[in-house]
Amino acid sequence: MNGLERNKKAYGVLQAISEASRCLNCHEPPCSRDCPAGTDPGTFIRKLKLKNIKGAVRTIKNNNILGGICGALCPTERLCMKGCSATGIDRPIEIGKIQRFLVEYGWETGFDAIKKKGSGKGQIAVIGSGPAGLACAAELAKNGYGITIFEGREKAGGVLRYGVPEFRMNTEFVERELEDVLTLGVELKTRSRIERGEADRLLSEGFEAVFMGIGTWNPARLDIPGSDLVNVTDSQKFLEGMRSGRNVELGSKIRGKNVAVVGGGSVAMDAATTCATLGANKVYVIYRRSLREMPADEEDLDLALSHNITLRTQSIVTELIGEDGRLTGLKGCETDWKNPDDHSAANLVTVPGTEYRLNVDFFVKAIGMRSEEGNKGLSELVENLPNGLVKTGDDGVSTTHKRIFVGGDAARGPALIVQAVQDGKTAAECIMKMLEENKSAGGAFE
Amino acid sequence: MTGKDLSIEMCGVQFPNPFLLSSSPVSNTAEMVARAFDQGFGGAVFKTVHAGRTKIIHPSPRMAGYDYESRKLVGLQNVEQISDRSFEDNLADISYLKRHYPDHPVIVSIMGFSEEEWGLLARGVEETGADMLELNFSCPHMTVEGSGMKVGQAFELLENFTRIVRENTSLPIIAKMTPNITDITEPALYAKRGGADGISAINTVSALVGIDPDTFIPHPNVAGKSAMSGYSGPAVKPIGLRCIAQLAQCRELSLPLSGLGGVETWVDALEYILCGSSTVQMTTGVIHYGYGIVEDMIEGLSDFMDSKGIDSVSELVGKALPNIHPTDAFDLDHQGVARYDLDRCIGCGQCYIVCRDAGGQCLGWDGGKRRPIPDDEKCVSCMICSFICPVSDPPMICYEHVPGKKEIVPPVSR
Repeated sequence: MNGLERNKKAYGVLQAISEASRCLNCHEPPCSRDCPAGTDPGTFIRKLKLKNIKGAVRTIKNNNILGGICGALCPTERLCMKGCSATGIDRPIEIGKIQRFLVEYGWETGFDAIKKKGSGKGQIAVIGSGPAGLACAAELAKNGYGITIFEGREKAGGVLRYGVPEFRMNTEFVERELEDVLTLGVELKTRSRIERGEADRLLSEGFEAVFMGIGTWNPARLDIPGSDLVNVTDSQKFLEGMRSGRNVELGSKIRGKNVAVVGGGSVAMDAATTCATLGANKVYVIYRRSLREMPADEEDLDLALSHNITLRTQSIVTELIGEDGRLTGLKGCETDWKNPDDHSAANLVTVPGTEYRLNVDFFVKAIGMRSEEGNKGLSELVENLPNGLVKTGDDGVSTTHKRIFVGGDAARGPALIVQAVQDGKTAAECIMKMLEENKSAGGAFE
Repeated sequence: MTGKDLSIEMCGVQFPNPFLLSSSPVSNTAEMVARAFDQGFGGAVFKTVHAGRTKIIHPSPRMAGYDYESRKLVGLQNVEQISDRSFEDNLADISYLKRHYPDHPVIVSIMGFSEEEWGLLARGVEETGADMLELNFSCPHMTVEGSGMKVGQAFELLENFTRIVRENTSLPIIAKMTPNITDITEPALYAKRGGADGISAINTVSALVGIDPDTFIPHPNVAGKSAMSGYSGPAVKPIGLRCIAQLAQCRELSLPLSGLGGVETWVDALEYILCGSSTVQMTTGVIHYGYGIVEDMIEGLSDFMDSKGIDSVSELVGKALPNIHPTDAFDLDHQGVARYDLDRCIGCGQCYIVCRDAGGQCLGWDGGKRRPIPDDEKCVSCMICSFICPVSDPPMICYEHVPGKKEIVPPVSR
């Protein structure tokens, strides 16, 4: 499918070494400095270059248990590739592609890159099997702790499985990387939703600590008339539906029809591209600010544009119109800056006389997630901030309860996968430190 | 294509340009050599002909490439033998070439396996109208005992065979030398005494290109066995240049030279010419890229000569030789520094690493700005930093003479 090759292998061995050979082997490599999860590209690229391929795979997988997924999904041009010294003479090294290649090389050659460092330590509960939970679970399991992951949905992976379209991250790839976590001895309980207040119960059931990596799953509201019409949905429900058995049903609603997606982030582009690949007649992407302010990664925008979407920037939706309860169209108008030098959303005004109407049969809101869900009341023992996020210490993962930790979107609000991985790692370190200190102080919890 | 006259004379034979195929798989048949001439090669050394009394079979496989990082064929090892065709077929092909390409000199490489064969070969080749003979005293991996490099290492035998050829032909003779020897001028002088009119060098360097870590068998793996054999390509060029310069600087020798070993570009060819070669031969470059490389050699050398106001290739022959001295001729009072143009620095910091671990430990590092901090007082001017610096055109790090600067001696750990 046109432009959807991101699911395919990036390189063969020779191509990967060729790309690595462009690397300048920087002193204090900026790529390693800039990886939020400490994956350390400077080291694994050097290892690849020096034909130490297993060592390169080992570096990635021990630093970042989701190295393959991050290699494929990270906005690398904003992270590790941003400070690449090779940019000064040519173009940055394709770090994400090399990283993904190495992880897949490890899988294909049956190389067991991760070594356990201990065994027989205490039991820890991880709530949520998204990137934060998986990273936390893997780090603790490597160090000998017994881990149980509680996942509410049918399958593990969280946002990796349910928030990213198949063309960006195929199911087999997610499952293969999940396997790396599970082979460390992690127990996974799916369809095991932890309900309100239940996180605290886990502590009384013998788990020495609890990590909450529950993400943010509630879409931001778009308060316009017609939001309750049939065939009006949000990006989260739409993408999750596509990956949990509703793809045929959604396909039949979209094929040959007109679709509008509102939003300007990578998720909006994913939704638009997905609609285009489902055979939509026309896909509008409506974004309130201009192209320059659009937060979507260039690659994601390019992919959507290559699928012939119609982009309407500086444009908002004011009303959804329906017949017999079903969506038939939308009304909108153009926007402009009140103060021409201020391109913030707060400075937008609608332009009278630019009102328009589009015939659309399907509408996707992709304007971000609400963070006010916080810990969703999973724990009565931890405090939340006024904005709904869990209140954390300076480390970003400890809560107001000594044995409960949090990470990823639940702690940060909407953030990157690679940041969630780092939170999982940090939380694991904090949990181990806490348990060690507790042990040397006598061992019993208050 | 430029119309510049690149013709040059060697051993009384006029070449339209100095670029020749060397005796190898690339000059195996008349059909091949004809296409090389059509693409611009000025001449060819036809792949080594033998008398046909000894069966020649090439090992299978017969070559292995040497790669660096992702760069393919930086070097090439081969155990290919001399021509596996009959003497008659080769003579017919050579006659064909001379009939169709009378202005393109054809040098025929020959190898006898007895005194009689050397004479027979010389007489037979002369009848085809070939322009010169090249005596193969240098193939390092002959499967026939006592031939090739073995002759090149047994000087009196080499002189004897040269003399026999001399007595059997009026054609100019060039003797091809092996580099697998201590002093390449020695066998060349024996060849001269035997009657050689010129010298070509170098044949391939005896080598092991690599070993399969799973089987412990070196490449190429010939049914479970390998052998030390001939190594060629860009990796051997510096050795070839040194040999040619040694031959050219040998006053007692004073014979025209044909240089080869790792030539791919006009710059490589020019370097061989500057070290004393009149003509330049090539194989591995053709194995890598095909005969088309000669177009860029002709164009490149022509443009170079135009830019320098040089009208004849012969003006360039040996021009580097007065600058090649024994090392005791150096002026050791002349010291300098590596001069950095930091405005163009991209901040990779490789210079800092190599100066610390391989140089004079004289660079500092500003981690915030990601810039090296040079120290002229401590710099030993080894210039390693400039070899790895990726900023070029012009190089960001250059050598600069500092009058009065004393040599820097490393401190002692106490």
